[in-house]
Amino acid sequence: MLTMHNVGKIYQTDSVQTHALRDFSLTVNEGEFIAVTGPSGSGKTTFLNIAGLLEPFTSGQYTLDGIDIGGLSDNQRADIRNQKIGYIFQGFNLIPDLNIYENVEVPLRYRGVPAKERKVRILECLEQVGLASRARHLPQQLSGGQQQRVAIARALAGKPRFLLADEPTGNLDTLMARQVMELLEEINQNGATIVMVTHDPELARRAPRNIQVVDGELADLTFYQGKPATPASAPEKSAHESVVGG
Amino acid sequence: MFLHYIDLSIRSIKSTPVISVLMVFAIAIGIGLTMTSLSVFHMMSMDPIPHKSQAIHFPQLNIMDEGGEWHTDDNIPYQLTYQDAINLYNADADFPRSPSFRSGFSVHLNTPDVKPTMEPARLVYQEFFSIFERPFIFGAPWSKEEQQSKPYVVVISESINNRLFNGQNSVGKSIYLDNKSYRIVGVVEDWDHHIKYYDLNNGAFNSPEKLYVPFSIAPLEEIGTWGNTNGWKHETLNGYQSLLQSELVWVQFWVQLNTAAEKEAFSALIMAYMEDQQSKGRFNRDNLQYALRNVTQWLKYNQVVSEDNRILVGLSFMFLLVCVANILGLLLAKFLKRAPEVGVRRALGASKKHIFAQHIVEVSVIGLAGGILGIVIAQLGLWGVRTTNRYYEALATMDVSLLLAAPTIALMASFIAGLYPAWLVCRTQPAIYLKSQ
Ligand SMILES: Nc1ncnc2c1ncn2[C@@H]1O[C@H](COP(=O)(O)OP(=O)(O)OP(=O)(O)O)[C@@H](O)[C@H]1O
Ligand SMILES: [Mg+2]
Repeated sequence: MLTMHNVGKIYQTDSVQTHALRDFSLTVNEGEFIAVTGPSGSGKTTFLNIAGLLEPFTSGQYTLDGIDIGGLSDNQRADIRNQKIGYIFQGFNLIPDLNIYENVEVPLRYRGVPAKERKVRILECLEQVGLASRARHLPQQLSGGQQQRVAIARALAGKPRFLLADEPTGNLDTLMARQVMELLEEINQNGATIVMVTHDPELARRAPRNIQVVDGELADLTFYQGKPATPASAPEKSAHESVVGG
Repeated sequence: MFLHYIDLSIRSIKSTPVISVLMVFAIAIGIGLTMTSLSVFHMMSMDPIPHKSQAIHFPQLNIMDEGGEWHTDDNIPYQLTYQDAINLYNADADFPRSPSFRSGFSVHLNTPDVKPTMEPARLVYQEFFSIFERPFIFGAPWSKEEQQSKPYVVVISESINNRLFNGQNSVGKSIYLDNKSYRIVGVVEDWDHHIKYYDLNNGAFNSPEKLYVPFSIAPLEEIGTWGNTNGWKHETLNGYQSLLQSELVWVQFWVQLNTAAEKEAFSALIMAYMEDQQSKGRFNRDNLQYALRNVTQWLKYNQVVSEDNRILVGLSFMFLLVCVANILGLLLAKFLKRAPEVGVRRALGASKKHIFAQHIVEVSVIGLAGGILGIVIAQLGLWGVRTTNRYYEALATMDVSLLLAAPTIALMASFIAGLYPAWLVCRTQPAIYLKSQ
């Protein structure tokens, strides 16, 4: 599904150059559920953004579904985002002027889904995250956890084949986090490929495959076929040399 | 999607009421001012009689002896002497033509129940009505016969007919002008003109006359002009008859010449007339000189639309530009503040086009609101012009074309203001605002 080969990302600000990603190579197969861990500032979000076509990369190659992403125009990237990819952002990033229903509706509108079908899907997704009764509320009228669930509903509404989640449980209590995790597992079971960034070792363990990002470099730690993983060991400089599977 | 964008625009406007109101007002004031000056300008420069403005002509004769100076561009007096007007009218030719001048009478019915009122009147020959296509409600112009031998006839305007005769057909009845009785032969519609192009003497935007009496009444009743009288040499007048013989110019003259050939023929007639007069001792100059201008040329020659008017329109557009610049600043601030939201939309699949369209629609909604409010402001402005300056009364109105132009100009202005901010915001990289907040 996704292949990155030596992808690098350098942020250039005034005088400082940040190598957010370097020589990042990774293959993700259709239907995988991958948990990404790593210290703060290590480049997890950057990786996710590049994988999700939200950001250009500075070097290397990236193909998604056989399409070379590096050669695409802005419009083509927008189309792929809209058609194939669902996002759960690190912040909730709900649009404050729109109510919950309308927030979930945004990607469907850009995809050109007819109004009737939109309604069915939105209510379905809100139901799934247990917020159907709050459809007409504005984001600021909901708790952080509820907002996160709206963000999840929005990502699911487009029935994406590829779901990118950046700390989807970061703002939730343990119980809620588990429920969200179960939701993601269910989506994964239904065929979607999921890449999830998390700080929570327990959640990471539930994912069949864990990768770790340290200083913009990849350490592919484990590849358990469906079995719970052992806790990710503390990042080591040499971690990326002991790549297992992939 | 378009309706959705309008919906989003209205929410956005509601969510930032102060900035939005400021922007709408900025456009409205700019449009209001522009429309006020443009309306006046438009009315001033409008062709007053489009289908005939090329056919109706005003002849001017250079009656001055060699070395005489006049203040017009071509050094030709801008009115005719009484004798030249009469002679050109009586000359042997078929072109409809008429001398004319403005005067006035005390109008009454010689009964105690109707108070006399002073009404402006125009002295013309019967051809005047057909040249200027004055529509009759009752009756018709007086005949040639009447204007020659029984000239105590009058054509009254609708408003006088309404006042004195309750709008009934008054043809055949008599009214009194000063102390003489005149028989009404026709009732003509009120002349609702913006530019008094047929007589610029009392100002191009003066009100029309309410009565028409035969030109031949002038010598009989010794009627003086309410317009200007000018001369090029010193003359001592004693009495009205000497005015008629004098070299003073105070009469207007219009002739309808439908084709170039007709114009040529009438030019030849003028030339022949001047040569004839020269042989009788007038026009002592090396080269005989005349002018024959149609209505369009006449208005230009008389500078009905002055340079000041043009400058005023230019200034008001400049003011609109200043408003546009202000709106541009406000939009920039407003749109850039929304960049995070745009980032989210981009991430969720919005193309640059979607984002651009959304913001241009929002700008248009503001522009349209400003345009409509601008019309209201322009109406207030025109009302102000009308009440402070009665002279501009007929001019300071807005016609349909400008009513439509206002929102169009407002939309264009808002486009100009909104293009850059919308372009800037649609270039938002989706990722920038999505990192942890
Ligand atoms: N737009 C940017 N401009 C400059 N530097 C950036 C930009 N975005 C990220 N960086 C830098 O790139 C590095 C990786 O950032 P990234 O957001 O990917 O980290 P992260 O692993 O997601 O961290 P966290 O767990 O705190 O979310 C950091 O050092 C960050 O400062
Ligand atoms: Mg992050």
